[in-house]
Amino acid sequence: MKHRLLVLQMATPVLAILFGMLSASVIILAIGRNPLDVYAVMVRFNLTRTDSLFSILFKTTPLIFAGLAVALSFRVSLFNIGVEGQYYIGAFCAALVGFSLRGLPAVLHLPLALLAAAGGAMVWALVPIVLKLRRGAHEVITTIMMNYIASALLLYLINDVFRDPTQIGTPRVRTPLVAAAARVPSLGPLLAPLGLHGSDVEKLNLLLPVGIVIAVVLAYFLSRTRFGYEVRAVAFNPLAAEAAGIPNARVQFGMFMLSAGIAGLVGLNDILGFFGYLDIDFPKGLGFLGISVALLAKNNPLGVIPAALLFGFLDRGAAGVQFFARVPKEIIVILQALIILAIVVAYELLTRYVRTQRKREAELPVTATPAAEATGR
Amino acid sequence: MSDLFIELQGITKRFPGVVANDRVDLTVHRGEIHAIVGENGAGKSTLMRVLYGLYQPDEGTIAVKGHAVTIESPRRALELGIGMVHQHFMLIPVFTVAENVILGSEPVWGFGRLRMREAQQRVAELCRQYGFVLDPTAEVGSLSVGEQQRVEIIKVLYRGAELLILDEPTAVLVPQEVDELFNNLRQLVAQGKTVIFISHKLDEVLAISDQITVLRRGRVVGTVPAAGTTKAQLAEMMVGRPVLVELAHPPVEPGPVRLDVRQVRVPGRGTRPAVRDVSFAVGAGEIYGIAGVEGNGQTELVEALVGLRRITGGQLLIDGRDVTHATARAIRLMGVAHIPEDRHRRGIALPMAVWENMILGHHTREEFTHGALLNRPGIRGFVRRRVGDYDIRVADVEAPVLALSGGNQQKVVVAREFSFAPQVLVAAQPTRGLDIGATEFVMRQLLAARSSGMAVLLVSANLEEILSLSDRVGVMYGGALVAEFARGEVSAAELGLYMTGAGRTGEARAG
Repeated sequence: MKHRLLVLQMATPVLAILFGMLSASVIILAIGRNPLDVYAVMVRFNLTRTDSLFSILFKTTPLIFAGLAVALSFRVSLFNIGVEGQYYIGAFCAALVGFSLRGLPAVLHLPLALLAAAGGAMVWALVPIVLKLRRGAHEVITTIMMNYIASALLLYLINDVFRDPTQIGTPRVRTPLVAAAARVPSLGPLLAPLGLHGSDVEKLNLLLPVGIVIAVVLAYFLSRTRFGYEVRAVAFNPLAAEAAGIPNARVQFGMFMLSAGIAGLVGLNDILGFFGYLDIDFPKGLGFLGISVALLAKNNPLGVIPAALLFGFLDRGAAGVQFFARVPKEIIVILQALIILAIVVAYELLTRYVRTQRKREAELPVTATPAAEATGR
Repeated sequence: MSDLFIELQGITKRFPGVVANDRVDLTVHRGEIHAIVGENGAGKSTLMRVLYGLYQPDEGTIAVKGHAVTIESPRRALELGIGMVHQHFMLIPVFTVAENVILGSEPVWGFGRLRMREAQQRVAELCRQYGFVLDPTAEVGSLSVGEQQRVEIIKVLYRGAELLILDEPTAVLVPQEVDELFNNLRQLVAQGKTVIFISHKLDEVLAISDQITVLRRGRVVGTVPAAGTTKAQLAEMMVGRPVLVELAHPPVEPGPVRLDVRQVRVPGRGTRPAVRDVSFAVGAGEIYGIAGVEGNGQTELVEALVGLRRITGGQLLIDGRDVTHATARAIRLMGVAHIPEDRHRRGIALPMAVWENMILGHHTREEFTHGALLNRPGIRGFVRRRVGDYDIRVADVEAPVLALSGGNQQKVVVAREFSFAPQVLVAAQPTRGLDIGATEFVMRQLLAARSSGMAVLLVSANLEEILSLSDRVGVMYGGALVAEFARGEVSAAELGLYMTGAGRTGEARAG
């Protein structure tokens, strides 16, 4: 019984994805294409080309950080919708440290840039979390507002304060170049001996393994440590946790800061790993995608990795079907949204099912038969 | 007896691995109050769910008013005149009484406009007819628990029920409210309604019922008339062995004061303090009982004593140390154990594993940690011992605690709080919702704690429990301690007077 429920729980994301694809098929049919063809093109384009595979991994990297950031806040019943703004600030802090300091060795400069990104995002997140814990202001509202502020502030800083003077007069609005010592090393040199080359291979950088390691460490941290235990108690019954002497607010604060710190790293894949500068067109919306990733992963840090991969896959696939199947890219966006909807529905259904099953099982020890009596002692 | 209303024959209901009801026969006559008693898990609720159409029996027949029927849904049950008053109220607090009553079968004009006036009149009529004191226009959220229960009963009557099934209706009520409920029930049967009353409180069952059917492990042990049956006989039928109704209360010489409460004041909602200048002291080896109608400051007092609520005046001392402004954690570390009044709210986290709940609050102890990590083998050993010592019926300690019965959940709390030699025990409603066996168990544990030199504060709405366990009894009314008695100095009836504020002018030694 228990194993059956477990299998079912694990199968839910897969079922949700299939359901999402099925729903998207209706739309693909509606624009006069064969959904099977479209999906086939997507799979072939994504999985049979080296550049596609590495592009997927590159797109997956920031989504791992974003998914982890959102999942961590969800774990203590907080909704960090502010990952978006936090990574803008993190990206800016990293760029600032990257271009304003010169002559530092890479072993110092890069960690400093990463710390600046995490630290900046954490400071940014202080406002909503302190308002929440001290004054009860709902973090969804405050983080959304902070996102607007972050977005406007960033444009101002890039455009008016830190614009690269050498670019004035050109249409490029960006910061000065980040020092080489602050760039995240590419994995290209490691992959070259395996016969893997190309610009998409070069793009892949050290942040991908870093993200995976952080996910694994977090999974262990949450399941095995005392703090992880307190996190569960606070999430499942804050009143009982309080009665047990667990400081709810402190646990929530700690997790929110952790969430923000990881959020600060979201933008670095592009800024420090690829472009080497921060411009006004840098990738946006990753924080919101992180919400979907966390949802699909059920807030499990390890689940974030495949969930981020799926979104990376869909993103790359969008380019493929647009080009080869001549299906607009927007269809993929719709597919993503449908999958998320399907997941919400599927999880709700599953949770209900598990609950009724548990209740039924719960009646077993209660309705003690002679057999249960004999084994119960 | 008059005519037959319900006749169940050979009802069998199986769940995977168990037979919840085993060839149950039950006959209920019109106009009687028929009690169904049994321990938790004896099959009372399953049987009632079969009758109310929530479960389908695997075997057996149901006849209503002489006709064989199949009750496939609660809707069908209502058509047959069978209504259920649930233990947990299903009311919307911001709606008025009348709005709650009509919910689901609203009378409407065209375009869905509510016939509110008419609904209010009908509710008022029902109240008049059955002698219910209830204002149809009152907001349900502002009503007492007893009044909310009346709303639930009216709801069922409004839908035309002739037979009312009440599932543990007194579990949430205080003595005065129980009396009122019983008056209401007598009114109902006097006017031809029939009542099935599910309970495991034997005094109440004997007081209100005409017939009593006892279930044990899914089978009917027997049906007896309430008149001429004793509590001891019923208890033995339920449990299957003679039960001690009275527990031995050996004299214990009280030791030094462990819990010292001096003029403690706790703010309530609004400007009125919830606890006003309460003073008492509990010594080692002593049980101090606090009686009172719920909502007179006991909850706030208990929470203040264990550090969960701010104390704005007075002093709280534990073993002579001032802990007035200490945190819950600090108080716990001083050896204060706390059995909360509502285990689901303050005691356990339902989705967490049994083992996780078993160490809640003790999880920072050295034997459970390896630095920042949890010491799983150490915890497992501890949990296994506790599960054995307290006879907690659980197949797998990795299972979420919500899979346990209420009695076993309470045992998890009790086992945890009695661990690591606490010096002071604050027990609030420790036997609420437990069956006879589990109640007896918890009461024995409290007495054992007393013998071992713990200072025990027992807050309970159950006067019998207070009187049989306590060395001294205080009465709370309106946030103040209005009287204090030594053991044997006071009867339940007298306590009841003080609890309603009536006895305040006596020579009570307040504080």
